[in-house]
Amino acid sequence: MIYLPIAEMPVAVLLILLVSGAVGFVSGMVGVGGGFIMTPALIFMGVPAPVAVATGASQIAATSFSGIMTQTRRKSVDWRMGLLLSIGGVVGSACGVALFERLLRLGQLDLIVSVLYLILLSGVGFLMVRESYHFWRGKPAKSVSILRRPLKTIVHNLPFRLRFPRSGLYISVLPPLGIGFAIGALSAIMGIGGGFILIPAMIYLLRMPTNVVIGTSQFQVLVIASLIVVLQSIATQTVDLVLAGLLMVGGVVGAQIGARVGAGLKAEYVRGILGALLMAASLKFLFDLVVPPEEAYVLGAGMW
Amino acid sequence: MKRVLTALAFVMLAGAPASAQQQPGADVADDLPAGVAEEQITVSSTYGGSFITVFGVNPDRRGRGDIVVVLRGPNEPATVLQKRRVFGLWVNDDPVRFSEAPAFFAVLSNRPLRDIASPESIWRYQLDPAASARLASAIPAGGDPSAYRAALVRLRREQGLYQWYARGPQEGVRGGLTAYQGGLFRAVVRLPANAPIAQYHADTYLFRDGRLISRQRIPIMISRIGVERTIHDLATNMSWLYGIVTVLLALLAGWGASVLFRRP
Repeated sequence: MIYLPIAEMPVAVLLILLVSGAVGFVSGMVGVGGGFIMTPALIFMGVPAPVAVATGASQIAATSFSGIMTQTRRKSVDWRMGLLLSIGGVVGSACGVALFERLLRLGQLDLIVSVLYLILLSGVGFLMVRESYHFWRGKPAKSVSILRRPLKTIVHNLPFRLRFPRSGLYISVLPPLGIGFAIGALSAIMGIGGGFILIPAMIYLLRMPTNVVIGTSQFQVLVIASLIVVLQSIATQTVDLVLAGLLMVGGVVGAQIGARVGAGLKAEYVRGILGALLMAASLKFLFDLVVPPEEAYVLGAGMW
Repeated sequence: MKRVLTALAFVMLAGAPASAQQQPGADVADDLPAGVAEEQITVSSTYGGSFITVFGVNPDRRGRGDIVVVLRGPNEPATVLQKRRVFGLWVNDDPVRFSEAPAFFAVLSNRPLRDIASPESIWRYQLDPAASARLASAIPAGGDPSAYRAALVRLRREQGLYQWYARGPQEGVRGGLTAYQGGLFRAVVRLPANAPIAQYHADTYLFRDGRLISRQRIPIMISRIGVERTIHDLATNMSWLYGIVTVLLALLAGWGASVLFRRP
């Protein structure tokens, strides 16, 4: 047991290491930060929600940096694309933080976050599982290719086109900026890195090759997560350094092992696993929203 | 116990320390001889909660009256939300704010409090956490103010932050008020690890025939030491540096792991 100076509670060191290691394993394997599992898990362990959100971001930063190191050696990071996504993300997260505070004051943050999780997790998860299933059956998904064609023309018709050699793309800078903005805003509100939305967005909307998607998304996630850690430290002072240290250690070790395992698997299967995981997580949010609560009242954060 | 008795003897010789604050009932004497075993509690990285011992003596020579001990944490703002069903989804209603409510509250007595003090006294001297909770916002339409107050107390009680001991210590449970021969009493409160780190007050009351006769207020300081203190001070006073340090630590951890696990 170790006492957390900011969360003001003791936690079991081994449990935190195990949980963050497991989250890191998944994130290393499929290239997501894992915040969408880590943050709810911390809250479940009794860590106050603001501390869980802010501190979870530091673990996301650590695992994504560890991932980038590995991906760089494989030359699978599109830095130019990552930079554009990050610029959009920085602006988006600033707007997201403002919206976060407004929703918190209105007392509706829980609802918005739950509904967003439900829609995003189940939607993205379903898309991934379906594609993986079709791949497994040995035929490409027809509906996905129909979905791609019109989007491709939109992307190609926009101005300010730029060449992305590593992704083999020649597209407008506007879609990456827009996607970065949306992910940044969602990250700030939901306390996640956003990788699980960013990866499908890069595959389905930008049509980036799968091998550069993970490294590039980790780059954007690193930038956003680092920014959120600094902003939360200043604005809400809810980053717990001791908890962050434990999460980082468990997270990076798990991520390295996960990356090792993930490299030996087919990308389509990895995406199928992630999709199934996302859909499973979305069920929990659906459950909480629909099932009558045992206790009709909840305590809010003290300041609001 | 020996230590408590020694300290108690000191309290009785020196007379009661005059540390009482302005409270309702200025006519009541602040001369109840009482003390605490530790006026300073330190929180280090191995902290897992603590016990606070309040002891004293009933000044009534014939031992009449009842002793009530209250341990109070700081008053802080609180918010309570009620869940409501909208289109099949359970959502939070408008938040109801309390400008202040005790962050920790424990009340100890030998028998049920309502047999000791009148409801007016319980409210007036704030012997119940609900009495200290001050509503600061309007209740949503159809809501009941007392239900929100009760919910606040119930939820905090489940977290171990509000405690009631109406009997002496029970088998296997540490905490409660014990009366000894000669009017000597000792109260032990379990302070859970999730209780806020702040200044607390141990208030001791003597009630006779439902009326407050005498009381005493002793401050107890709970503070961080060592690494816990350094981290907390850095996070509070130099938050930008703290944030950057955290990010650098994250980068270091990520880099370290990738080097460590690099395939030769």
